Amino acid sequence: MEFLNPAALYAFALLPLLLVPYLIRRRPRRLFFSSLLLLREFATRRSARPWGRLHLPPIFFLQLLLMALLLSALGEPSLSFRPVNVALVLDNSASMQATEGEKSRFQLAQTEAAKILSALPAHARVDLYIVVPRLTRVTEESLKPGEAIARLNSLGPLDLGEPAIDYGAELERLVRERKYELLNFLTDHPAGGQSENVRVATLGRPKPNLAITEFQVARRSLALPQLEARVTVRNFSVTEQNFRLAFKGNGKLLLSRPYSVAPNRSVEAAFENIPWRPYYEAEIDAGDGLALDNRRFAVPPPQGALKILAVSPRPEALSSLRAIPGVELQLVSPEAYEKGNFGPHALEIFHYSAPAALPDSHALFVLPPKQNPLVEIGAALSRPTVSGWREPHPLTRYINFALFRPAYARALKPGGLGEAIVQSPDGPLAVALEQNNFRYLALGFDPFPFLGRQNLPVSIFTLNLLEWFHEGRGGSGGATGEPLAARLRAGESVLAPDGEKIAPEKSSTVFARTYAQGIYRITDGETEKLFAVNLGDERESDLREPPAVQLRNEPGAAAGRAFYASLWPYLLLAALALLLLEWFLNPASARERPASEPVKRDDFRWA
Amino acid sequence: MDRSCVECYYFLVAVMLPAPFTAEFLNRLEVLRLRTRKDVLGNRPGAYSSPRRGTSLEFADYRKYSPGDDLRYVDWGIFARSDRLYVRLFHEEVDLFAYIFIDASASMAFPSIKEKFAPACNLAVALSYVVLANHDHVRLHSLKDENAAASPFYRGRQRMRDLIHFVSSVAPAGALEPAPCLGNHLKHIRRPGKAILISDFLVSADAYQRGLNLLRAFNLDISVIQVLSREEIEPALPRGELGLIDSENFSELRLEWSETLRREYQEKLVRHNRELKSFCHQNGIHYSFYPTDGDLGRFVLKTLPATGLFR
Repeated sequence: MEFLNPAALYAFALLPLLLVPYLIRRRPRRLFFSSLLLLREFATRRSARPWGRLHLPPIFFLQLLLMALLLSALGEPSLSFRPVNVALVLDNSASMQATEGEKSRFQLAQTEAAKILSALPAHARVDLYIVVPRLTRVTEESLKPGEAIARLNSLGPLDLGEPAIDYGAELERLVRERKYELLNFLTDHPAGGQSENVRVATLGRPKPNLAITEFQVARRSLALPQLEARVTVRNFSVTEQNFRLAFKGNGKLLLSRPYSVAPNRSVEAAFENIPWRPYYEAEIDAGDGLALDNRRFAVPPPQGALKILAVSPRPEALSSLRAIPGVELQLVSPEAYEKGNFGPHALEIFHYSAPAALPDSHALFVLPPKQNPLVEIGAALSRPTVSGWREPHPLTRYINFALFRPAYARALKPGGLGEAIVQSPDGPLAVALEQNNFRYLALGFDPFPFLGRQNLPVSIFTLNLLEWFHEGRGGSGGATGEPLAARLRAGESVLAPDGEKIAPEKSSTVFARTYAQGIYRITDGETEKLFAVNLGDERESDLREPPAVQLRNEPGAAAGRAFYASLWPYLLLAALALLLLEWFLNPASARERPASEPVKRDDFRWA
Repeated sequence: MDRSCVECYYFLVAVMLPAPFTAEFLNRLEVLRLRTRKDVLGNRPGAYSSPRRGTSLEFADYRKYSPGDDLRYVDWGIFARSDRLYVRLFHEEVDLFAYIFIDASASMAFPSIKEKFAPACNLAVALSYVVLANHDHVRLHSLKDENAAASPFYRGRQRMRDLIHFVSSVAPAGALEPAPCLGNHLKHIRRPGKAILISDFLVSADAYQRGLNLLRAFNLDISVIQVLSREEIEPALPRGELGLIDSENFSELRLEWSETLRREYQEKLVRHNRELKSFCHQNGIHYSFYPTDGDLGRFVLKTLPATGLFR
């Protein structure tokens, strides 16, 4: 039992005052009696004390109990069983930055969480969780409620999309495995279903939003150095929205144009022949709920030719690539590749060969051996026909696949990671994979040598793949939460968008703490490389109807239903009953039969 | 008085008298007669034995014949045996003079007149009616302070109205000193008879003994009826410190009333009553106890005959 208003219990100190009426010498009640002859010897001796003899009749204890009950009721006692093993999961995804009035959803979640924690008993143990970059515990050790509130204030939302997990199942799994008696999930998702142990508090209301979903700065083609920018703005509302799109370079305004976008539609803006700047920024002036997706960053692709490192036991076939403008080719044998250090290249082509592990650059695998880190190799095919292809896809543009008939091929098995771009009846012929901001492509056929117009479908495919790799060198930048497309070397550090300088603990690591949108700079003190990181999850921008958290009411291992009952009404009833009992027992003067009545003249009539 | 007149009289008296005096109750009182332990001196023929010789059927003594004696009373048997003339003497039977003393002190108004004094007066009226119904004399005396309020002698049922009027005029007040008060009344009593004292006897033993001895000195056949209210027998005083005021002398007594004290008071009251009863028994005084919340009819018709006040 506990008291919701413990300050009222100080009033118990006033209980001794109840003795005062019993200590004060009261003038005795004067009553007539027929004759005092038989009572004289019972006369009491008068005391000189100002107070009377402390005579505590049973009614005093009844009154004491009555007062104690009333004071206890003032203290608002409550009988409660409150869970002591509690988990608090905070949704810190990008959509929690949406504002609700003057506060963001995440601030509302913090306030709600503080209320929940304050209501817990002092000996409760709390585990704090956040959902991005993944559902994980904030601290290793469980916290006391007060510690959890302090830790709560140090948390903030990240510019990350939520992981594609089934929250209902995941949270109930947590409850089962960690034996939580109660798990509170504070999010902007609505709750579906019920659960004894999982409670979902939904913060925020659906609201329209305008978001830049794509921003890319690229060279017009592999051969042309001019830059062009494309910005896609999507309207996540049911009304047409007007906005002004500002295009900035290195923080300074370059262009600004008005646009309008229909409901649930996207509008694409293109800026051609833009001047070269270290980085670019697109911004719309929509005063909507989520400010994060109103800005997006991009860095231009590297200037100059596409540097290719070709590793092949048959270098003569690859040397035909030199005929393509804007391509610089370096040919090495597989043995030389294993031994040497060839520095950074924009693209590494492994022709009939494969490295032990995926390289830290874009890579093309052409008919790799069975021991390769990307795909499994299937059966050999002679002049396979193409039965399907991804469309639209940069790799399949402008190709007449009816004429696409490589002389020899091997079917590939992507193994779950990559996606098949070109399919034959016996299996994929081209498998693409984007991982850690690097693009990998495995081909089950040999597109080399580059024959130009003599083999037009394959030549177009070769140009497409070079273009695809070239696009992957920058321009649109990476998504938040994904590692930067470069390994940190000794002496290099990362300057985050918020100005924080992060030095790697060890060299040759990938910086993956890209939790904020903006420009990241890898610098060694003299030179710096810029990386644009943007919110990469459109679902975070859609603030209208986020998917519900489906709870399945699976009983937890330590399921304990919280119980709360306020006792003060019962105490008041008991006090009332005692009051009635006291009224009944106490010989109040009004109800008392007079022992004697004053003698009046009128009474002296006999009949 | 023929029967129809008697019934009419019963009706009228019943209308005048308080509730216990129903026609049936009065009819039953008719058959009662006071019993005396001593000879009385009446002035008319009656039903009570007198110390004087008279013409009753009850033999009293012999004396030598004197010339002029009625020859009907000569005992011829003795003359035959002893050749001497003796005359038989008989007791004289006279009417009764009853004196009913009602304690009219203030204590008789406790807890209220209706609860103590009125029942005592009812009792006195019932006793008076028994006397009047037997064509004897009754006189009521109110014992209060030293004032000697006494009614004239009443005789015959037709004096009930006057008797009731006298009783109604008595109001309890003041303190009572039995001996002086009785002394004042006894100054006016010429004939010995039956004295019935109705009182609560809440006075010291010495005081009531002196009063009763005074009655004894007047050669009265004494009966004592002690009346106490239920409040006096079982006081229901509030617990705690009390200032009790004596209803007669208004003196105040502070005491801490409790259950224990109540029991001690009751024990003391029992001792007091037992002492009074013992004194009465030792001195040939008839004693009865009447709690005023009791049934008057039962007390008069059952209890008093059983204890020997009536015959």
